[in-house]
Amino acid sequence: MSALLEVAHLHKHFGGLHAVRNVSLAIEPGEVVGILGPNGAGKTTVYNLLTGFIAPDPGARIVFRGTSLLGLAPYRVAALGISRTFQLCRPFVGLSVLENVIVGGLGGRGSERGDLDARARRLLAQVGLAGKEGLAVEVLSYGDQRRLEIARALAAKPALLLLDEPFAGLGSGEIADLSALIRRVHAHQGLTVVLIEHKLREFMRLVDRVVALDFGEVIAEGLPEDVVRHPAVVEAYIGRDDDAGA
Amino acid sequence: MSGRPVDVAGASVFVTVMALLPVVFPSNYLIGVLTVSVLYGIWAVTWDFMSGLTGRENFGHALFIGVGAYTAGFMNTSFGLPGWWSLPASMLMAVLFALLIGLPTLRLKGPYFALAMLSGSVIMQRLMLIFWEQTGGEEGLNGLTPLIKSQLGFYYFALAALVAIAALLLALSRSHFGLILRAIRGDEATCQAAGINVTFYKIASLVISAAFAGAGGAMYAHYQLQVSPQLFAVVTSITIITMVYVGGMASIYGPVGGAILLVLLTELLRNFGEWRLMIYSCALILILFFLPGGLVAPTWRRLRARWAARRTPAAALASPQKPSP
Repeated sequence: MSALLEVAHLHKHFGGLHAVRNVSLAIEPGEVVGILGPNGAGKTTVYNLLTGFIAPDPGARIVFRGTSLLGLAPYRVAALGISRTFQLCRPFVGLSVLENVIVGGLGGRGSERGDLDARARRLLAQVGLAGKEGLAVEVLSYGDQRRLEIARALAAKPALLLLDEPFAGLGSGEIADLSALIRRVHAHQGLTVVLIEHKLREFMRLVDRVVALDFGEVIAEGLPEDVVRHPAVVEAYIGRDDDAGA
Repeated sequence: MSGRPVDVAGASVFVTVMALLPVVFPSNYLIGVLTVSVLYGIWAVTWDFMSGLTGRENFGHALFIGVGAYTAGFMNTSFGLPGWWSLPASMLMAVLFALLIGLPTLRLKGPYFALAMLSGSVIMQRLMLIFWEQTGGEEGLNGLTPLIKSQLGFYYFALAALVAIAALLLALSRSHFGLILRAIRGDEATCQAAGINVTFYKIASLVISAAFAGAGGAMYAHYQLQVSPQLFAVVTSITIITMVYVGGMASIYGPVGGAILLVLLTELLRNFGEWRLMIYSCALILILFFLPGGLVAPTWRRLRARWAARRTPAAALASPQKPSP
């Protein structure tokens, strides 16, 4: 089976800082992959490199469904089927909840077919925001804004969904709900999901495979239970996280 | 419940009142004031379409107005072409200038677009003075022929143009195109992540805005029968932006009301002599301080909501809904 996304020799320097060092990844279709690492490990930078928000250093290879993503603007990457969320919720302020999801479907693959309005309402129901369509996005709770981000990302009909710390800022009940939502989306739509997260308990239950980063490089990769026991991971991350003993 | 029939009724009342005013109070002075207010309405609504919706402030809208006016002036006085030809030509020239400034600056983050527009209008004003032999310098170009000989006839033409342009831009603002422009105002990065070519939409909205502002400039030239470098002045752009703020940003119809209110206020204050500017400025400060969302559009939204609540009392009990533009 050929990989959905292949990444090789990914480097990124910001001046003297080597933020991403020779990262190589292969994401298979239908997988749920977790990217683990302490703050500053380069996780979000990897997302930004994959989605065209920043350009990698020369020599990198990023291929999605046989198409190189190098040099593509973020909107072109999204149009090829990669949707992402952001570490901090970034809804379209000034738009209603429904309009936020409709906009998600207006670019690239999202606008290919069907009634956007009806599809947006279905997605909102799927993420548990039915009845809140007409609300101003500003009045949503943080947890609901996270759900809205996922609905907005799904509206683009992605083949690969990149979630950047989806549980950040949520309480334990909201984390369990959102985790169940991600599982549902993955199971029902066969969507490939990659997520960055710090909340280890939910993270480990959710993912099929983990890639651990530290100082911008891959230090371990494999099954969740193996990666958390990897000495390099324990040294770099687990020992410093409150969730580790949980 | 949709407020669309209420909006149509409100617009109909507005057009009827504007059309009847010169009939009920027949005076060339009043027709003149109303004509200028309507032309400012066109410029305010076109500014709002691009800058109000996308949030990318244009501090040099006068550039498009001046380019449109001078295009009309040159075509009519230098080449002797009929005045009506200048309308599409002025739109084209304004679009060219919009592309010239928008293509390199709207793909960048930061204040580059706002500064480029501001500089563009200042540079054009200077160029009109430097090349005085061709442009007429301070005096500008004189002797343009009127588009419509009757003053009242031209007023109705300008009013019809304002209604048509505002209706078109309002329809666009409520379409998916307008939704994308408002999303760009909300968050450009999220738009890009949603597969939207943000630069294309910003440039497209600038082109549409410039085209109609240029046409408004040509109409103004054929109304005043002359053009002068003062049209490019920064104060023209600032006046238009003020009208949009008073009317209600990103509403499209609000700036029409803002333009008419401020032109009428300026005329009403003429009797106050030296105090005029002081009173005008204080009125603006009070409006912007106490009504940061503007005067016209929020007032209309409140009226519409009250009317809808009276028709369907349950609506009044609903949770906070996002107001439509």
